[in-house]
Amino acid sequence: MLVESTHLTKVFGDVRAVDDLSVSIPEGAIGLVGPNGAGKTTFLRLLLGLVRPTAGTAKVLDRNIEEGLPVRERIGYMPEHDCLIPEMTGVGLVTYMGRVSGLDAKTAISRAHDVLQFVGVEEERYRKIAEYSTGMKQKVKLAQAMVHDPELYIFDEPTTGLDPRGRTEMLDLVRTIAQSPGRNLLLSSHLLPDVETICKYVVILDGGHQIVAGKLSELLTGTSDRMRIDIRGDRDAFVRQLTEAGFEADARASAVHVTRRVGAEAAIFEAAKALGAEVRYMGKEIRSLEELFLDLVAQTETRGPECRSPSRPTRGERSPCSVAGNGPGRLWPRDSVAS
Amino acid sequence: MRRPAAIVVTVIGAAITTITSIVLLLFRFVLIPGQALDLSFFAVPASNGFILLFVSLMAAVIGSGLIADDLHSMAFTLYLSRPLSHADYLLAKAAILIPLVSMITIVPLVITPLVAALLGFFPWPIALEAMGLSTVVGLLLTLFFTSVTLFLSSLTRRRGIAAAGVFAVNFGLTIPASILADAIRNPALLYLSPWENYLAVVRTTFGQGGNVIDWPWSLTLLLVATVIAALVTYVRIKRVEVVAG
Repeated sequence: MLVESTHLTKVFGDVRAVDDLSVSIPEGAIGLVGPNGAGKTTFLRLLLGLVRPTAGTAKVLDRNIEEGLPVRERIGYMPEHDCLIPEMTGVGLVTYMGRVSGLDAKTAISRAHDVLQFVGVEEERYRKIAEYSTGMKQKVKLAQAMVHDPELYIFDEPTTGLDPRGRTEMLDLVRTIAQSPGRNLLLSSHLLPDVETICKYVVILDGGHQIVAGKLSELLTGTSDRMRIDIRGDRDAFVRQLTEAGFEADARASAVHVTRRVGAEAAIFEAAKALGAEVRYMGKEIRSLEELFLDLVAQTETRGPECRSPSRPTRGERSPCSVAGNGPGRLWPRDSVAS
Repeated sequence: MRRPAAIVVTVIGAAITTITSIVLLLFRFVLIPGQALDLSFFAVPASNGFILLFVSLMAAVIGSGLIADDLHSMAFTLYLSRPLSHADYLLAKAAILIPLVSMITIVPLVITPLVAALLGFFPWPIALEAMGLSTVVGLLLTLFFTSVTLFLSSLTRRRGIAAAGVFAVNFGLTIPASILADAIRNPALLYLSPWENYLAVVRTTFGQGGNVIDWPWSLTLLLVATVIAALVTYVRIKRVEVVAG
């Protein structure tokens, strides 16, 4: 397992930033997604030992996070916020971080040049970081995370503040790292397309709780007994018509979902014809991560304020905010994760 | 240390402190008439006021930002996400400051007896003893300033505030304490001044009389302040949680 947490909790005053989080994350490229304030960054900082847990514990690469140094020497962390030393040059800082990570001077400087070349900071590496653009700073942050060749990369919002071109470049770099053999990636982002294009697994957090976790392909595919219908026309009337015809249908963020049974296709076309609506897609329930996310967040919101408040379930109970059931709502049990 | 100001302060401080001490040595009969030419003579260069001035400048220019800058730039996050303990971090910071402060607090004090012996002004046994004692008292001052400066730097994200704290400790305590002690004729006030405590230890170490405060108390105060500042800094750094950002 890449990460295993057990009842991990972090409280800041009245706010439960991470709330009784028990999750098992397999090796590979993992996306950690959620809205701002979901607890993603706090979760990552707990794993790194940058903040201490209020309760619970966690393991990273089979080492308890309380061990500290043996855990951190295997991690390369790229923080979201600005953290570079402005007076230093790019190559100076990356070399320095290599030294701090335990590399000898010769290896550190050699690796610093290599990783800066990899991220695309070449001629500029001898300039002071204070003179760098946001995109170059992000690349240097990425380079310093790579300099000691860690087993696990933790990237917290790596595309923050980048223009479209910079974002594409950064995503290409992150994708290359994610595809490197023997390397694992924990990518935190609220930009869901970023995660969707890079990660194979995803953990969705909201309000400090785990909403759902699983293989991205499975979560997005949903179940075979549901169909997705994209229509142009009055969706609510369309759903009403299908419901009156005896079909189980609901309108979600961007499409209508209908339980598949005999006669469903015919009923769909009849309903569309009656309403003058146009069926643009009908088929297997395939969603984007954004659609999945919006559906899940909508579900947690209908479950009541406890999912967004500082309150928490009694230890041992499952959080009321975890989405259970079929398809996208399936909880990913800690002991049944396939890597 | 990459900052030009840091290099300038270090070089000028070391040069001026050394040169003034050697000038005192060369013109000892004119500048300090009546000073015995024995071990006690070396209390004079060890009491050189330029030491206080340049150590304060050095602590302000270099030391004040050592932790405050990391807190300000959030580079602290980078350090603590590495296989680096809090103690390692603080020792690394001290390792930057100690050699630089030593350029003012130890090197001139060791060079002066060396020059004195080379020029034949003092016998080698006295010069060697003076060099050893100078190293000890210089080390005491170095550790005190390093510890207090790092403590002040850990209190704030702004190096300017830490620098002001350095001057407050060095001059803000020394000058009023000296003035008040004279005015109300109560030498006990001099215990408030780190510099006066250091001078009391120096005079005793080199066998020079004239102390108005008890050197054991002065030594104890300096050591206790050094240890407490170091411990509090360690505890503060240990308790830091990277929450912002």
